[in-house]
Amino acid sequence: MTFLLTKIFLKSSMQKITEQNGIKDVRKKSKAQITLYALLFAYLIGIMWFLSTKMINVLKEINAETVFIDLVFMMVFFLNILQTVFSSINLLYFSKDTDSILSLPLKPYQIILARTNVMLILEFAVNILIGLIPLIIYGVKLNCNALYYISVIIGLMLLPILPVIIVSLISMVIMSFSKIIKNKNKFQLFTTLIMLVLVIAFSIGITKIDSETMTDEQMAQTLTSAGSFTDMLKTYFPTFGFLVNSIHSNNILTLILETVKTIAVTFIGVVIYLLCAQKLYFKGLIGSLYSGEKTKRGKVKIKAKSKRLGIIYVFKELKILIRNPVYLVQCVLPALIFPVLFIGLIFIASDEELKGITNSLALMLNFNKPLILMGLVAIMQFFAMFIYVSITAISREGKNATFIKYIPVPLYKQYIYKIIPNVLMNIFSTLIVLGIARYLLPIEITDLIIVFVISILMNVSLSMLCLIMDLKRPKLQWNTEYAVVKQNMNLIFPMIFGTINVGIVIFVNTTLKMYSAYIQLVIIAMIYILANICIYIYLYKKQYELAKKIM
Amino acid sequence: MIEIKNVSKSYVKNKKSVDSLNLEIKNGEIFGFLGPNGAGKTTTIRMITGILDPDEGYILIDGHSIKEEPLEAKKNFGFVPDNPDMFLKLKGIEYLNFLAEVYKVPVEERQNRIEELTKKFEIYDDLNSYIESYSHGMRQKIVICGALLSNPKNWILDEPMTGLDPKASFDLKEMMREHTKKGNTVFFSTHVLDVAEKLCDRVGIINKGKLVFVGTLEEMKEKFKEQGSLEELFLEITEE
Repeated sequence: MTFLLTKIFLKSSMQKITEQNGIKDVRKKSKAQITLYALLFAYLIGIMWFLSTKMINVLKEINAETVFIDLVFMMVFFLNILQTVFSSINLLYFSKDTDSILSLPLKPYQIILARTNVMLILEFAVNILIGLIPLIIYGVKLNCNALYYISVIIGLMLLPILPVIIVSLISMVIMSFSKIIKNKNKFQLFTTLIMLVLVIAFSIGITKIDSETMTDEQMAQTLTSAGSFTDMLKTYFPTFGFLVNSIHSNNILTLILETVKTIAVTFIGVVIYLLCAQKLYFKGLIGSLYSGEKTKRGKVKIKAKSKRLGIIYVFKELKILIRNPVYLVQCVLPALIFPVLFIGLIFIASDEELKGITNSLALMLNFNKPLILMGLVAIMQFFAMFIYVSITAISREGKNATFIKYIPVPLYKQYIYKIIPNVLMNIFSTLIVLGIARYLLPIEITDLIIVFVISILMNVSLSMLCLIMDLKRPKLQWNTEYAVVKQNMNLIFPMIFGTINVGIVIFVNTTLKMYSAYIQLVIIAMIYILANICIYIYLYKKQYELAKKIM
Repeated sequence: MIEIKNVSKSYVKNKKSVDSLNLEIKNGEIFGFLGPNGAGKTTTIRMITGILDPDEGYILIDGHSIKEEPLEAKKNFGFVPDNPDMFLKLKGIEYLNFLAEVYKVPVEERQNRIEELTKKFEIYDDLNSYIESYSHGMRQKIVICGALLSNPKNWILDEPMTGLDPKASFDLKEMMREHTKKGNTVFFSTHVLDVAEKLCDRVGIINKGKLVFVGTLEEMKEKFKEQGSLEELFLEITEE
């Protein structure tokens, strides 16, 4: 029964984008789509190959190449924790099928196990993609035997179990207070933010390891000291140690022994988890389901003044986005967090380091102004890739997306209103980046204004293109709001469009380097004004065709 | 007035969900649209409201084609969809204010209209709360209030009685009668045959995408030579 339930939960959380109203879209994936996925996969492997090779070579020089295995396992381990932080509360407590599942004659442990299995399966997929590839590269480079590959696979399969059950248990403890918390939206946002703070702290720690400005010697030192961090992990998470040891040993007996030890510890962990979860989970679940906000009585404010529909519509979009903790954290916060993180990193750097960077940038500004200004535009495009407002604008509405089709407002106008929140988020992150630039470098205000305008022009086209992609591939049948963002392949599009934008900036900068910064910027501005006009005309002309999948 | 002329729609090849549908809902008429699950009721309503495009045929709302003049057609109807879980993160009043702006309800009329409708459905005191805190029935009521806010001539309601308490259900039926007395149109789908029997001037029965009957209850009895209730006649027609 647990297996069947897992299958159902998994299917409902991974529902296909093409399924609409129970009717399967039988069209096969187009060649272009397959090529796109293949290219992305090749790109991912290329990056991993480059980074892994560099790290292995550096470690080899100091005869510490085996630390690489520890590092990959550590990375995968933390990734499992981070992923579960984001998914556990949503999958355990805010799945839409919860109400109907509770009324079925199922044993509590079956529901808990099935929900946990879904999280685990998602982690296995991550481990295969993120962990297996670098470890295969390691195996190829060091001519490892078959036993190495077997122990790697066993290790990556068993590794996520403990982190998933520990994080889930923490979520259950926090959520067991949900009954006494009156505003469950704020509570959900608060819990996710607490966990997010941990994520940021971790990211800052990692950035210290992954610095491109390091010399090979410094890098090797940092990598080995990070390797010693894994020793600490081995103490607190024994299975981590067992699995890493089994790979290092390259001995069949050790592999069997360490695997048995891992399975035994994991089994004890799962039993404790199930015992505690049966006490905690349903308490929190009932609380989160039935402790809605109290009705607020008071004077009803009926708008006595008529505003422009566009303003009201955009405000409605923003309210829905900001009041939903899942959407706020997944779609909006990255836009705010990344630039803030950027500021944080600058202040973390020592005065000397900061002075060195500032001086060299200031020098470069004198000699190669276009490069600095174009660099700023490119950085802002990088932040724009993490804003998922426009790419989920239709999908977030779910089944109610049909609303836009039966109200007497032209569709193309509604598309524009839905794009504006994405552009507003862009403006915010752009202003932060420009503020930092002004703080660090003697850039003139007029230059900053020009860069700001160009960045916004680029972001308008990126936002419009993302909305078009969401209209063409809407994910309207979802089970949890979390799925709209985390299990939505469309999210690669902001990255693709952002990369193309950066590519255009680099292209213009390299081909027109004989011209001044202003000429280059004006040319980019013209390209994007033209692009925006073309995309707008496309949105206008194809407004009904684009909405065909909303039904 | 709603005119549906020779409308067909298929989701998959060689299987029509709605097949050559012809219907005319006249002014001053309450029209009940009946049929078993999956018969094509919601597909028809989605085509009338512009959510779906028909493969063949055309639909006119007060003479405006939903395909050729969508904005004019949409201004002339208020629609209650089958799922009332809409805009859950908005407060009731925010939702109604938004719709008042969308349907361009004159500012001076808004106050009275919102008060009148929400007090009738007994949700006025809850307007400052988020819609997500409403019960299913309350959500249904706020969606109905939103649809009727601009006082549209044509009401198109998909299963409007679902989740309503007896008083709200009674009030809605009264409102339908009052609305059609003024020469307007009400088109609604329902599974509650008792409601259709007592309320509708005419009914249409759709089965497997085809309209198998349209007319008054008396005409139905005459056609099928049966003297039973609408429920018995409905079962007889749809089982054939």
